[in-house]
Amino acid sequence: MKYNFKKILPLSLATALLLTACDSQLDLNPVNTIDASSAVATSGDVEALLVGAYDSMGDIDLYGGNIVRNAELLGDNGEIFWDGTFVAPDEIFRKNLLVNNDQAASMWLDAYRTINIANTVLANLSVVTEANRNRVEGEAKFIRGMMYFDLVRFYAKAWTDGTPASNPGVPLILTPTSEITEQSKVSRDNVAAVYTQVIADLTEAEAKLPVSNSFFATKNAAAGMLARVYLNQGRYADAATAATRVISSGRYSLVPTEDVFDVRVNQNGFNTAEDIFAVQITDQDGINELNTFFGGASYGGRGDILIEDAHLDMYQPGDQRAELFYEDGGGVYTAKWINQYGNIKVLRLAEMYLTRAEANFRNNSAIGATPAEDLNRVRTRAGLAPIAPANLTLAAILKERRLELAFEGQLVHDIKRTRGTVGSLPFNSPKLIFPIPRREIDANPNLTQNEGY
Amino acid sequence: MRKNSLLALLTLLLTWTISLAQDIRVTGTVTSAEDGSALPGVSVQVKGTTRGTQTDASGAYSINVPSANSILVFSFVGMTPREETVGGRSVVNVQLAADTRALNEVVVTGFGTQSRRNLTGNIAKIDGSDIQGVPVTTFEQALQGRAAGVQITSLNGKLGQGIQMRIRGSSSVTASNEPLYVIDGIPITSSNQGTSSAPQNPLADINFNDIESIEILKDASAAAIYGARASNGVVLLTTKKGKTGKTRFNLGYQLGSSEPTRRREWLNTAEYVELFSEAVQNEINRGNLPASYLTGSTYSRFTRYAAGERANWEQGLVDTDWEAQAFQKAPMGQLDLSASGGDAKTRFFVSGQYLDQKGILIKNSFKRLSGRVNLDHKANDNLLLGVNLNVSRSLNGRLSNDNAFSTPMQIVALPPITPVIDPRTNELSGNYTLYFNPLLNRDFSNNVSTSYRTLGNLYGEYKFNNWLKFRTEWGADLYTLNEDQYFGRETARNTGAPNGLGYSSFAQVTNYTTNNFFSMGTTFAEVHDVDAVVGMSFQRSDATYNSVEGREFPSNAYQRITSAARITSGSSTGSNFSFLSYFARANYRFANKYLLSLSGRLDGSSRFGENNRYGFFPAASAGWIISDEAFMQGVPSLSLLKLRASYGLTGNAEITSVSPAGVTFLNNFAARGLYSGGSGYAGVPGQSPSQIENPDLRWEQTAQTDIGLDFGFFGGRLSGEIDYYTKNTRDLLLNVNVPGTSGFRTQLRNVGRLENKGWEFVLNTQNTTGDFQWNTSLNLSGNRNKILDLDGQIITGGYNNRAMEGQPIGAFFDIEYAGVDPNNGDALYYLNSERPDGSRDRTTTNDPNAAERVIIGNPNPTLIGGLTNNFSYKGFELNVLFQGQGGNQIYNAGGKFQSANGDFFDNQTRDQLNRWRQPGDITDIPQARLFGANGTAESSRYLQNGDFVRLKTLTLAYTLPTAISSRAKLERVRLYVTGQNLLTFTNYTGWDPEVNADFLAGNIGLGTDFYSAPQARTIIVGINLGF
Repeated sequence: MKYNFKKILPLSLATALLLTACDSQLDLNPVNTIDASSAVATSGDVEALLVGAYDSMGDIDLYGGNIVRNAELLGDNGEIFWDGTFVAPDEIFRKNLLVNNDQAASMWLDAYRTINIANTVLANLSVVTEANRNRVEGEAKFIRGMMYFDLVRFYAKAWTDGTPASNPGVPLILTPTSEITEQSKVSRDNVAAVYTQVIADLTEAEAKLPVSNSFFATKNAAAGMLARVYLNQGRYADAATAATRVISSGRYSLVPTEDVFDVRVNQNGFNTAEDIFAVQITDQDGINELNTFFGGASYGGRGDILIEDAHLDMYQPGDQRAELFYEDGGGVYTAKWINQYGNIKVLRLAEMYLTRAEANFRNNSAIGATPAEDLNRVRTRAGLAPIAPANLTLAAILKERRLELAFEGQLVHDIKRTRGTVGSLPFNSPKLIFPIPRREIDANPNLTQNEGY
Repeated sequence: MRKNSLLALLTLLLTWTISLAQDIRVTGTVTSAEDGSALPGVSVQVKGTTRGTQTDASGAYSINVPSANSILVFSFVGMTPREETVGGRSVVNVQLAADTRALNEVVVTGFGTQSRRNLTGNIAKIDGSDIQGVPVTTFEQALQGRAAGVQITSLNGKLGQGIQMRIRGSSSVTASNEPLYVIDGIPITSSNQGTSSAPQNPLADINFNDIESIEILKDASAAAIYGARASNGVVLLTTKKGKTGKTRFNLGYQLGSSEPTRRREWLNTAEYVELFSEAVQNEINRGNLPASYLTGSTYSRFTRYAAGERANWEQGLVDTDWEAQAFQKAPMGQLDLSASGGDAKTRFFVSGQYLDQKGILIKNSFKRLSGRVNLDHKANDNLLLGVNLNVSRSLNGRLSNDNAFSTPMQIVALPPITPVIDPRTNELSGNYTLYFNPLLNRDFSNNVSTSYRTLGNLYGEYKFNNWLKFRTEWGADLYTLNEDQYFGRETARNTGAPNGLGYSSFAQVTNYTTNNFFSMGTTFAEVHDVDAVVGMSFQRSDATYNSVEGREFPSNAYQRITSAARITSGSSTGSNFSFLSYFARANYRFANKYLLSLSGRLDGSSRFGENNRYGFFPAASAGWIISDEAFMQGVPSLSLLKLRASYGLTGNAEITSVSPAGVTFLNNFAARGLYSGGSGYAGVPGQSPSQIENPDLRWEQTAQTDIGLDFGFFGGRLSGEIDYYTKNTRDLLLNVNVPGTSGFRTQLRNVGRLENKGWEFVLNTQNTTGDFQWNTSLNLSGNRNKILDLDGQIITGGYNNRAMEGQPIGAFFDIEYAGVDPNNGDALYYLNSERPDGSRDRTTTNDPNAAERVIIGNPNPTLIGGLTNNFSYKGFELNVLFQGQGGNQIYNAGGKFQSANGDFFDNQTRDQLNRWRQPGDITDIPQARLFGANGTAESSRYLQNGDFVRLKTLTLAYTLPTAISSRAKLERVRLYVTGQNLLTFTNYTGWDPEVNADFLAGNIGLGTDFYSAPQARTIIVGINLGF
């Protein structure tokens, strides 16, 4: 038997080809992402995660704008007109939400996504360096507290409506989720429990946050948010005290009316001396969704929300705030959101004065200052004559609040808290409450739906 | 362990090889007497001995015979056997004549070929010549209606757009439902690599005039050799090879033009003003609008839309047909040149194509430049080398997605009272129109996708002896896609970029594959035919994506981002996957009557976790050629009767996810818990969880059973196939909705099962022979898709499609429209709430929130088919292809804007004039109410039957008599005229029943129309010259 080289060679080659490939070729790693197991190992990792929570909170469906827009659409009494085609905001504007309203779904999902990130930060505080730990904890709790405050205000009955301790609120999730189990099918906690958590988070945040913290949450941001929560609950003394802590910190001052809002065009946002907390927008990161809807087509917006005469007529002659409007393509728009890369103001000093004025007036107190002093600070800044203390009425304070904070996301919540009306709907109409998203009920049968859906 | 057994096998093979003795060596080629084509798989026997071999793919054989007196017997099923005495010759070439027709074509099977007669699996074959010259952009469109059980749907009439192919139904809910595409043995990149949620079709890069044949592997027996990627079927494309002989040139040129298959009817100015004035007045009367709203707000709005001139709408001075503005003249031209030839050692095929086509929609175009070289070289008697190389460049002028204001079809929403040109500026109507005017995109934007593609493979095939050979293939598919977009300042209303927006993206996908396999084939004792394949395959794919967006351009003259004053976003990403596979197949044939085939593939993939790295996919099939049994010999006219059955497992590893931007992408790392670093905030880096892990993730597994009967009568003049199959898929990869309170929206899990059951019927007849020839080919198939188990989950898609247990995938689930209340014009819906006895409450309500959603329709056709008739007489040919489908519904999600009885200011379809006007009116269109949402909820009001039959392709051709063409030194001159989509028969009132809105199209998002462009009706004339 003789071995033919020409035959052996190809056969060996063939055999080699058949067998050379090996298992290790299957060990590939992702390019864009990293494994969760190794993602939160160092202090820097946790702090990056905390930044991720801000990023998530700045999503368009949260403080990137829609949380503000939806409060204005839902509370509108004919001062604006929704001219857009998106179905979900249109339903909100018409106070006729369907249960599958996609805004109701995405706001819910994104808020809980933000909460999960904050929870993950809080669960990993032990790896954060001692020097940063309090700050990190405070920021995470600030974000979580804010998210629950908005969830409970949109998806549950108002504090002023019935008994908060028996009204269903939203589920409270306080630990991070790393796997989906039966325990993930949570039930709704009551409204009072959610408020308790919000106040606990914000109180702790205020205690642990530094006074100065770049554009991130600060001690005063937490105090300012607490003032808003207390006012919402009618805890006027607490509200006035919390507002006073912000005002008397001396870190903020009212700026001229034309500088309150960023009326430049296409420029990266910045915080003014008046801003206590704002979501940062740049042309690199974040979308100013309020510009998208409130902005005219010439300024990067869709021009969907027109300002009606009913609103414009509310300004007294000489009110400089009446100048914060512009015409574009035949419609009138607010200039507050004219800059598509402008920051979204969440808390600013004027609100603190207005909150304290109202709280003191209702409480018949003068914590920090008299109601007239506070109110007139805001009026004078707008170029209006001060109101004499003797002539001061609650209506005047509320009107000032309406004009000063117009299109900033306070409207429907202020109506609910003051037991007002939206058109023919009373403040406690089920139509002014978002449905629990249909997809959420489908995924979690333990959730009960709101009345009217 | 695995390696050891392979080694043992190889050692055994080696020993065999060497033990064969040497005698007189005879070689030769067996060809078909009919057309001279090579016949592979022909049995070559030395008469009176057990010695035998088979011809290889090129029809060649070599055999050692004991003496010069030996007689060789050439036999091939379906051919008349021949005997040849060797008589001292060393080369014996033989031609075999067919005794039946069409029953024994050679079918490519994946790592081999087989005669159809011996096939036990289900493979549909389409000859390249059948689709040559069809005036479509991509070969899948040309396949519509030509293969049983294969449903091909263009999403809309945009050129270069993604196409859905479903082979025997959808076998997955969230993983891909597209088949695996393999060109000359190399799996290619076939999924969308563009950045838009409206998919782009990478297969459009392929010049389908290069294709020799397309084989569609449908059942498990045929497809299991592709293992974890075969559940959706496999499409094998084989390109043309050179033929030995003089060099033949072929020049083809065609030109023609397209128009939409259908236009719809919209309100004119008078009707528009009437309807909307009425809609406002109704709402005033109902107390929902102030009394002044008509003469105040509404009239000033009309005037605004009418370019500021009240007379324009009041006196009808402007009456614009906006729909007509969405379309353009759509010429197309295509030039093809190929040459083919070779000598005994080397054969070549070279071709080039230039296609230049304009779409029916403004600004839509497609150009393709493609070149191919296929070379085969016989280095010696044992070694065959070859290369197939294709380079191509495609240029696709693209459009915005169907849901964008800027897509041409959304122009129909503009009121007829708005002029095209604003008389105040003499420019296109711009910022004052109701919505963004898409014509601004036509004039002031560019959106071009350019792809460069190199598809190639090298192979070497070594023949050890008569029955054993080894083949190694090394292939690459290098695909790059560049999207360049610029939107000028005039389009700011749509883009939000006041001074221009530029976008550029680049995708590069490299895909390397090697296949190495032994093929064996021999005949023992005259009655045992065995052939087998064993080998391995490795594939690795790496993808890189970059994109950048810039704003603030000095003028529209500057369109690249280098001129942008602001770079507003940029990104680079990547992904990768690999497959390592071992496969084997054995076919055994006893007495040419009893057929058995076994195959299996062990597939490992990087896509799954360490614990689930490998899956095994076996299949078995058997066939019985009953007609060859002695007891059947008396049956007159029977040429073939074959019963076959197969069972096997295949997998689906094409796990997809949807990006936040809505783009469906292959998720190569779906099993892992992942964090994403893209969560920076205001310039500070950040990270966040992006995926919740599932360490148990596996591929989906489909068990398919197929029972088939092949028959032939009258020497093959009438033949066909009947198949019944069931496909049961389990371990469905589902993006299961999880409670959002977890911080995650979905998790990928292997839950659930679904099934497809169906039948296929193919009938081919030669109705007449002789001078006048008439052939008919019919295919019909029915498929029922049913989701059996989703672990209680409901998965939604489209507007109201969903995957839910007990229903076909994508079933339409919504509230049911009950028409109009004759008393007050309210839109009514059935309550449909379930009574204790299980029946539905058919009481009606005017509150859509009170109505319960139910299954209202099915987007999957239950019957699809095609009917081809070919007539030829002397030089004339007429080919007529009808294609159709039925049993499905279409949801027009644009209906709530287009046909909303004046709910908002969008122009309305003319049928809205039949609205309810006064008590007692009986109509389906509710009372017109501006902002009244009267009947505009998503409901069955906008659902219609989608059945259609279409005259898909009609070709009339004339080939000049050779006597004439040879005078011009031409071998062949063929002139033809072809019409595509000439007629459509349907009750669907939208533009076109072949529709699936591009931004929604997916597994569940099916059968939705949303301002989707109709298909093109194309007529071309062409000429082919052969010389």
